[in-house]
Amino acid sequence: MSAKHKGKGPQALTANELREGFVVWLTKGFEWSLDFKDALLTENSDLIEKMRSFGDSQEHDNIIVGVYFIDVDSESGLPVRYREKFRVSGPTYDPEQKFKNTTKG
Amino acid sequence: MYRYDEFDREVVQSRVNQFRGQVDRRLKGAITEDQFKPLRLQNGLYLQLHAYMLRVAVPYGTLNSDQFRQLAMIADKYDRGYGHVTTRQNIQFNWPELTDVPDILQDLADVQMHCFQTSGNCIRNVTSDPYAGAAGDEIEDPRPTAELLRQWSTMHPEFAFLPRKFKIAVVASPNDRAVIKAHDIGIEIKANEAGETGFHIIVGGGLGRTPIIGQTLHPFLPREELLPYLEAVMRVYNRYGRRDNKYKARIKILVKETGIDTFRDQVEAEYATLTPSDIAVSQDEVDRITAYFNPPKFEDLPQTSKTLTKHISEDTDFADWVEINITPHKAQGYSIVNISLKPLDKAPGDITSDQMRAVAGFADQYSLGELRTTHSQNIVLPHVKQDDLYALYNALKAEKLHDANIGLISDIICCPGMDYCALATARSIPLSLAIAQRFKEPTRQKTIGEMQIKISGCINACGHHHVGHIGILGLEKAGVEFYQVKLGGDATETAAVGDITGPGFSQEELIDGIERMVEFYLNHKEDGERFIDSYRRLGLPKFKEVLYNAA
Repeated sequence: MSAKHKGKGPQALTANELREGFVVWLTKGFEWSLDFKDALLTENSDLIEKMRSFGDSQEHDNIIVGVYFIDVDSESGLPVRYREKFRVSGPTYDPEQKFKNTTKG
Repeated sequence: MYRYDEFDREVVQSRVNQFRGQVDRRLKGAITEDQFKPLRLQNGLYLQLHAYMLRVAVPYGTLNSDQFRQLAMIADKYDRGYGHVTTRQNIQFNWPELTDVPDILQDLADVQMHCFQTSGNCIRNVTSDPYAGAAGDEIEDPRPTAELLRQWSTMHPEFAFLPRKFKIAVVASPNDRAVIKAHDIGIEIKANEAGETGFHIIVGGGLGRTPIIGQTLHPFLPREELLPYLEAVMRVYNRYGRRDNKYKARIKILVKETGIDTFRDQVEAEYATLTPSDIAVSQDEVDRITAYFNPPKFEDLPQTSKTLTKHISEDTDFADWVEINITPHKAQGYSIVNISLKPLDKAPGDITSDQMRAVAGFADQYSLGELRTTHSQNIVLPHVKQDDLYALYNALKAEKLHDANIGLISDIICCPGMDYCALATARSIPLSLAIAQRFKEPTRQKTIGEMQIKISGCINACGHHHVGHIGILGLEKAGVEFYQVKLGGDATETAAVGDITGPGFSQEELIDGIERMVEFYLNHKEDGERFIDSYRRLGLPKFKEVLYNAA
């Protein structure tokens, strides 16, 4: 998969970690965070191109899997798509109440 | 129950070793995700909305207590302390990490379990009656046939790349407890007038975005022809099933477009080219498999347990539980116990590791070490002495597994929905819990009687909404969830796809609407009528009016 950017408004780059499988977002420091609050949000096309290139290389290097851009609402700062909001919040029904994208234990 | 022979063991163990190597190569980058994905799916490993998900096969829903304890161990060691029973009798873990999966598969293999046929375009895990071997209405145990199909279909090279997935269910009683008419192939073992047994073969049923009730392909197939005949069906499907459009690739579409009579001719023509004896297994092999399912030695017990009668008269909660959750057993003095996984505060089908261990213990103590998963996402202890029911009830109570709601309005079938599933369009678990909450009062549930509410969080219909008395489909538009309603569906031997009502509702509106329909039913029902019976008599327009009329 290649992270093609076709969206509108601010963009964030997301994927799943290859090993643990958890949802991650690309940060300002070009690292992956389990917390959407750390996500780099930008409309700058040069920066978006750098994100794309970094995402592809990270996928190639087997750090992450399924990388893609998401639209972010500029007012709320949250993803536009309903599904992406769930990837940020985790399940609203969480039997162990310990979602928060943390690893087990 | 079936025990692996050397061959089974070798196949499963070699698959574990193979997958360990595949994961290792994936992590080192020797294979790409595109190459790895089909390999992990062949081992039941999906990448879901938040994390990986591992689906463990439970062939025909039968487990022994050691296997259930191992699942509890896996839930604790590698996951988050719980498992989830699916609508195809399997068990899912929602949070495994890729690096742990080879070890999980090894732990499963150690107790004769695996994740074969839980994903991909192959013949999936064969499902069956959860009361198999215990039900009073069965003409034989359907599991030897299901096991034969499992062995035939496992890694069958010709059927590894079918146009789409393929689901088979087997029952051996006139009362269908495995929804066989909503399967690609449904098999009913039945007896003819001469007392011989054979197979009623139903084909082309399915739910998903195009719900279709299966049709009779063969009314009474001789036993020895089962595998060659099914092989002919699979070949016709493999040849003519559509591969150009994923949504038209299931056999139900082929049968519908071809017509059942032409399809049957094609199967017969294909069958004529086969050498049945090359495909059919010997009677010795059938006998060997069947022997694993020989009925356990039931004790010679009186028809009615005095202990049971006494406790029923003394404890009304227990009496309710017996009335609602207990099913007659074929052996005198025994009962089939349904353990509800539908408490008011838990997602339908979820069970914690502590509960799994407890249930495994109850299976050992009270049910000859055996338990079952059901497509309605509950657990069954198949062989419990009536004398033990009260002790078992109290033990279940201590584990919060004593809800008396089997077949009632709060016994809802529900897919994981948007809370967990990558395909979902809306949540289903919170709606299910809210409906159960609205109707939580036990007396009211009993008064309403049999009611099957089924909820799916997308059109793929894992929650069986097409065949619910009240079927609910969750959708989303512009960030708002809404729910469409079907009425009059039926998941039994009189299977029917529900009627579409109309525009969708918010969660709150929907629950109010359900309540109005329930009240309408209670006010208009005739003697002995269930909700579904009144619906059939009074019809869609009346119920629809009540559903939509908020005034």
